Amino acid sequence: MNLLYFKIAFRYLLKNKLYSFINIIGLSLGIATFIIISLYVSYEKSYDSFVGSDTVYRVYMDYIKGDIFEAGDAQTYNLTGPTLNEQFPEVVDNVRLYRLDKVTFVKGDKIIEQPNGALVDASYFDIFDTPLLQGDISNFKKPNTVILSESLAEKLFGDYDPLLKTVSVFYGSDTLLKVVGIFPDMPETTHMKLNYLISFETLETWEALKSQAKLNWNQNNFFTYIKVSKHTNFEALQDKITSADFENDPDERHNIERITDIHLYSNKPYEAETNGSGSRVKFLTIIAIIILLLSWLNYINLSTVKSLERSREVGIRKVAGAQRSQLILQSLIESMCLFLLALVTAIIWVIVLLPIFNDFVGKSLILGVSNSRALLPFAGLMFLGSLLAGFYPAVILSNFSPVKALKGKIVTSSSKLNIRKGLITVQFFATIILIIGTLVVSKQNNFLKEQSIGAELSQVLALKGEVLETIPDSTLAVKIKVFENELKNLSFVNEVARTATYPGDGYDNLSSSVGIEYPDGTLDERQIFYGYAARPNYFKVVDIKFVAGEAFKERTGKQLENIVINEKFAQQMGYSNPEDIINQQVKFWGETCTITGVIRDYHHFGLKSEVLPLMIFEHQTYDNVLVKLNTSSGTVAGMQTSLDEIKSLYKSIFPNSILNYSFLDKKFEAQYAEDQKFGTAFQIFTALAIFIAALGLFGLTSYMCLQRRKEIGIRKVTGASVFQILKLLNKDFVKLVVIAFIIAIPVGWYIMKTWLQEFAYKTDLSWWIFALSAIIAILIALITVSIQSVKAAIANPVKCLKTE
Amino acid sequence: MIQITDLEKFYKTEEVQTIALNKLSFGVKEGEFVAIMGPSGCGKSTLLNILGLLDDPDGGSFKFNGTEVAGYNERKRSELRKHNIGFVFQSFNLIDELTVFENVELPLIYTGVKPAERKKQVEAVLEKMQIMHRRNHFPQQLSGGQQQRVAVARAVVNKPKLILADEPTGNLDSTNGNEVMDLLIDLNEAGTTIIMVTHSEHDAKYSHRIIRMMDGQKVTENVLEM
Repeated sequence: MNLLYFKIAFRYLLKNKLYSFINIIGLSLGIATFIIISLYVSYEKSYDSFVGSDTVYRVYMDYIKGDIFEAGDAQTYNLTGPTLNEQFPEVVDNVRLYRLDKVTFVKGDKIIEQPNGALVDASYFDIFDTPLLQGDISNFKKPNTVILSESLAEKLFGDYDPLLKTVSVFYGSDTLLKVVGIFPDMPETTHMKLNYLISFETLETWEALKSQAKLNWNQNNFFTYIKVSKHTNFEALQDKITSADFENDPDERHNIERITDIHLYSNKPYEAETNGSGSRVKFLTIIAIIILLLSWLNYINLSTVKSLERSREVGIRKVAGAQRSQLILQSLIESMCLFLLALVTAIIWVIVLLPIFNDFVGKSLILGVSNSRALLPFAGLMFLGSLLAGFYPAVILSNFSPVKALKGKIVTSSSKLNIRKGLITVQFFATIILIIGTLVVSKQNNFLKEQSIGAELSQVLALKGEVLETIPDSTLAVKIKVFENELKNLSFVNEVARTATYPGDGYDNLSSSVGIEYPDGTLDERQIFYGYAARPNYFKVVDIKFVAGEAFKERTGKQLENIVINEKFAQQMGYSNPEDIINQQVKFWGETCTITGVIRDYHHFGLKSEVLPLMIFEHQTYDNVLVKLNTSSGTVAGMQTSLDEIKSLYKSIFPNSILNYSFLDKKFEAQYAEDQKFGTAFQIFTALAIFIAALGLFGLTSYMCLQRRKEIGIRKVTGASVFQILKLLNKDFVKLVVIAFIIAIPVGWYIMKTWLQEFAYKTDLSWWIFALSAIIAILIALITVSIQSVKAAIANPVKCLKTE
Repeated sequence: MIQITDLEKFYKTEEVQTIALNKLSFGVKEGEFVAIMGPSGCGKSTLLNILGLLDDPDGGSFKFNGTEVAGYNERKRSELRKHNIGFVFQSFNLIDELTVFENVELPLIYTGVKPAERKKQVEAVLEKMQIMHRRNHFPQQLSGGQQQRVAVARAVVNKPKLILADEPTGNLDSTNGNEVMDLLIDLNEAGTTIIMVTHSEHDAKYSHRIIRMMDGQKVTENVLEM
């Protein structure tokens, strides 16, 4: 290969600065977007991939709904693991995991609240391929032992050796745990992030958890993972497990899923954390491919445009004896050089933009050596793509007849022009779809934001304290009531109520049950209903309205007697008029309860999911104290003073304690955070795509104007106005955009319809979305085209004619 | 060296057919300097393109060194062309992105000459054309006469047996034009066959023989006294 090829390529790029700039910017933006999205996608897909993860499955519960089974619960029974292990030879090991969402560690004067822990079987370390940094797993099989993550051990013990030391933990009640090992901090890419592992045997000795220890088929509060032998057929095992009925209950069954599928494809009730979204990843992948394609199409368009200007050079080369293959080679080398420049630029983009993107998606993606290797196939693909993109203009160039090329008489045939027009149409088609997507996504996000959830969460504070000493329940009850009364006396407090959970709090503190006898005597053992305990004034604090009846009254009796249900539950029981169900009785958990009121349906989990049949029972609860503040504390400073006052009040009643608080409205909105981010990402990528498509259009226009220079000159000489020339030049492009738009409507409509199906409550695909996207696309096209065509139209016609 | 007999070339557009060469016949011997003259549109350039193996005739015979080349495909023509024919154009046709040296080097690259040998040959021809001092300049930095000298250098670097010149002085003033003509004469005297299309009676006088054309046909042919 001759060095001259590279020399001329770079000189050419340098000489044609605008062309090189447009090409490199367009291509590099496309590649950078593709790299960033690929990093994100491969990060999302890398969840739970450890050595042997392909043979680890999670067991979950299916519940019957109507006539079909649906995934109903990510958690299973404590008998599930051992039973599967015993009954199926292909199951070689199992681990049960009882998750603790937050535990308070006390070591000396250090008090550390630590989320994400679990009680696990010792088999955990084998199955999840987690070697210990220090300690011995055999010690872990005893009760009251704990294995800490490296960073937690460091936090608790500093430089001291934590091994075989003890640490107190509080979770309902306190217990003393002996540290028997240290494991390396878990990566972010696992659906079950754990900071400490307590031996499963501790269930039996820990007062607060004792009720979970007895092996049974009644309480499914355990995550179960099974390890299967190599070459196990997943589907075959799934068939066997779903058709077995260990717990003797026809309305539910066990099911399994690959652990590697959990993060992206599992969204069951009672997951350990909010998982990622497979569809979001899919959409982003599509967007990445579209943007990359757009930038390639651009490159092809611009190069073929440019090739016209280079026809004379090709002619000279042919006359000088160049063969076609040599010309093609040169053209390919040029596109390779351009690609390499664009790649380098793209990597700079990625380095600059990745921290911003990370901040935005809350991930820690890096462009490192290890994950770049994963990008290699893409890089190869991109390289091939750019070669392919260079090949088309190369073939066109080398095809020129030397005589015509020398005279610059290359009139690109109409079929080639059609290809170019086709490419532009494809670009605009993709762009319009992205515009439609952006509009729909932001409309849906606004819809979710503005939709009434059926409760008023602003100015409501949830207080959750952790008392770090063992006090009898009765004392706790009295002290909490004192706290409650003191709160009511504060000037900035409107109302106070205790509740087990509240809208936006997630599944964790919500109990689910099956088996309820309706007022008419029918026993429903199929439908799951959800419930939580709250005190009577809870409804007032969060402003949940009653459609019939009223809240249960404050009562001292321990027996559960009264409940409030929601409209959905009333309908499920067959009452279309909620008034009719008031004072009727239902039986569940061996108790007979009177329905004192029916509340209007409110959204406990946000508008992504359906309203669930729900009951709120009058049990005592000390989990959360909700405080409705009055508006006078609305300022930031006022809010801080109020919070400080509440904290010191709590401290005076519970000296040995921590108090956590959250604002209900913010917590509720946090559920949509991922959707909002997705919406913004969509907007950014759409803007990018528009920019790239506009670059392409810009290129094509400059070509068109060049081709029609003589025609424009003649028209002007014979009296055409600038406006008439503009109309002539712009008409064609607007036509292309209109064609693209017509194809894009049904496709965009279908794609966004599919996307909206993820939401239980969705906005409609109004006609104006399509109209607006058409207007945006046409405007962009007109502006881009006019930059060039105005120049052509106002040019001195004498000049144009002279050059012919 | 060249013998054409009843050569024909038509240009077709959708509706009309234009006859560019109408049964044209003549021959050129090795070492000859022939000028072709005629009004615009008489078929001179078409003829030159065919003689230069840039274009294929539609009828008749074209023997190059005794071999029938009419009907050769582009690959074969290219092969024959790069070893035997050099071109000089009215508009010089230098590549703007290449230096003087690189422009002249171009034909040698395409015929596969080794880099060291190329350097030697290019420098020799640049020396001969007296533009060695401009070797690292780009075409835009040169005067018209200098550019045409580079073009001539490029045409002859391969030591072709035939040089086809299409109005080589058309874009030059008389001083520069005469210099270029002197170069061609020198080449001819060294043994290179030259066929030149020109409008200039002055330039034509440098040749051995003038063929005058009209409407694709030969009108007269006069041999000049040397």
